[in-house]
Amino acid sequence: MSLVSSLFLVFVAAALLLYYVVPKSFRFWVILAASLAFSAFLGFYTLLFVLVSAVLCYLGGLLAGPSKSNALRNAAAIITVVINIALLCAVKYYNVIGLAAERLNLLFGAVNGANKFFLYAVPVGMSFYVLQTTGYILDCRWEKIAPEKNFFKVLLFSTYFPQLMSGPMNTYANLSEQFEKAKEVKFDLSRIFDGAVRVAWGFFKKLVIAERAAMVVKMIYADHQTYTGWYVPLGVFFFAIQLYTDFSGCMEVVIGVSHMFGIELPENFNCPFFSKTVKEYWRRWHITLGAWLRDYLMYPILKSAPLIKLGDWSKAKFGKKNGKKVPTYIALFILWFAVGYWHGGLWNYVIGSGILHFIYIVLGMIFEPAFKKIRPKIGADKLYFRIFQSVRTFILMLTGFVFFRSATVMDAVDMYAAIFRKSDVPLDWANFSASGLDLANLIVMAVGVLLVFAVDAYKYRPGEDEAPKSAIAFLRSKGIVLLWAAFMVLFVATLLFGMYGLGYDSGSFIYARI
Amino acid sequence: MTREEIYGKLNEVFQDVFDDEDITVNDSTVAADVDGWDSLEHINLIVAVERCFGIKFTMGETTGLKNVGEMVDRIIAHLG
Repeated sequence: MSLVSSLFLVFVAAALLLYYVVPKSFRFWVILAASLAFSAFLGFYTLLFVLVSAVLCYLGGLLAGPSKSNALRNAAAIITVVINIALLCAVKYYNVIGLAAERLNLLFGAVNGANKFFLYAVPVGMSFYVLQTTGYILDCRWEKIAPEKNFFKVLLFSTYFPQLMSGPMNTYANLSEQFEKAKEVKFDLSRIFDGAVRVAWGFFKKLVIAERAAMVVKMIYADHQTYTGWYVPLGVFFFAIQLYTDFSGCMEVVIGVSHMFGIELPENFNCPFFSKTVKEYWRRWHITLGAWLRDYLMYPILKSAPLIKLGDWSKAKFGKKNGKKVPTYIALFILWFAVGYWHGGLWNYVIGSGILHFIYIVLGMIFEPAFKKIRPKIGADKLYFRIFQSVRTFILMLTGFVFFRSATVMDAVDMYAAIFRKSDVPLDWANFSASGLDLANLIVMAVGVLLVFAVDAYKYRPGEDEAPKSAIAFLRSKGIVLLWAAFMVLFVATLLFGMYGLGYDSGSFIYARI
Repeated sequence: MTREEIYGKLNEVFQDVFDDEDITVNDSTVAADVDGWDSLEHINLIVAVERCFGIKFTMGETTGLKNVGEMVDRIIAHLG
């Protein structure tokens, strides 16, 4: 079931009705039943996967918690984390697994799909789920939380339906606290309405903007033998629009739906395209993934005995200031490799969402002392420099998006080469609109993008860890009529201009496929 | 060791890690108050504090400390 479908809206409405009608003590069971039903809608193997994984997570947590011997705790944590990582790899390489199984089936005498010896099925979109349950086991081992004795609470934590497929990733401490609070939440129309506005905003971003941008992206990425020269940066620019409105739109739907149940989820985006540096960008884009990898991967690596020893050695060798950076760079490399791998398990993701950003961030760190000296001389406090910083960061992100959207590394390299190839198809209106994005559609998309930009400009706070301002709270403060008007505009605009309906297959959210 | 004595040593650690002899910390000091205290420098600070007091923070403590006051509480707990 896609989050951007009428079926999902009906599902949410039914779950909400039941949730607020039953006695408060039954709410937990309603939300758990809804979550399991949602998994079942995704397919039998998804349901099986989440159930088996939840049992593993529950047992792993219990055995890794205090009051056991350290050897047992370590063994439990290592075994369950390794199984989880293996599951993640299986999810990432399901194509390869499927191909291998089919070849073996042929060897074992399968004919036309019958008499299969090896049956295989790997659910997609479980990357968020696997990391979240791994975090639970590590939290138990590191005594951040006490292991949960009630299996059903672990089951709900791991299967909570709004965030199951696309995040935002959460910790057990946060989510279980929210589930406890939600038991006491009173039915409040304004809460439901605020959530509905976010859902409408998410649908608008996805159906009005992302799906239109996707037309140009598809045309150019699919054929950069024909679409060369300026077409390439144009295609990558449209992909940036598509990816941002797609993923942030998905988060609006997820967080909005959860808000209706009185369960607050963390924000995953904080105006990323206003970032001054690549490092800041990653504190504003997919925030919960960055936080997860920092807490559960980078910190343990940096705090491990070998890296501390290496740090002592490098400080003695290169001096205190430079020496302490050596282990930091190693940990950052592992972190960014993991970020890239998590996005897709192929080298184009490892480079485009990982290693390239590692290089940008490390170069930024190396040149920071020199930049500090130069900044006062070039008027770095002026508006023009501030705009330059955001534009530069955006362009650096585009260089990664070339790899992210390409099928392979060689495909991405060829796309870079295509920038310098002469095009037989000049970049004019007739050729551009062959993508399907005619003038009317382009205007609709451009108005949508301007609206997203304006909302982000309002929400933006310069502190990268500061929570963004709430546009809904702003509208509400100006009067409920304005909030209703905003909802109606989004609702009607999505109905009129959304890319959906008979004969049109709206693509699933990009990050729900990861 | 009293809280004041811990702060005396802790100030030295902060000054050394962040290369600034003017740093003094208190219960309410948070990362945003200290120039250079970001997610990467955090681990250098934690390791330096561990060495100074001869203790070992758990990973939960490493990632969960909300301010310097909590850090001092944990140091006192470890020192027993």
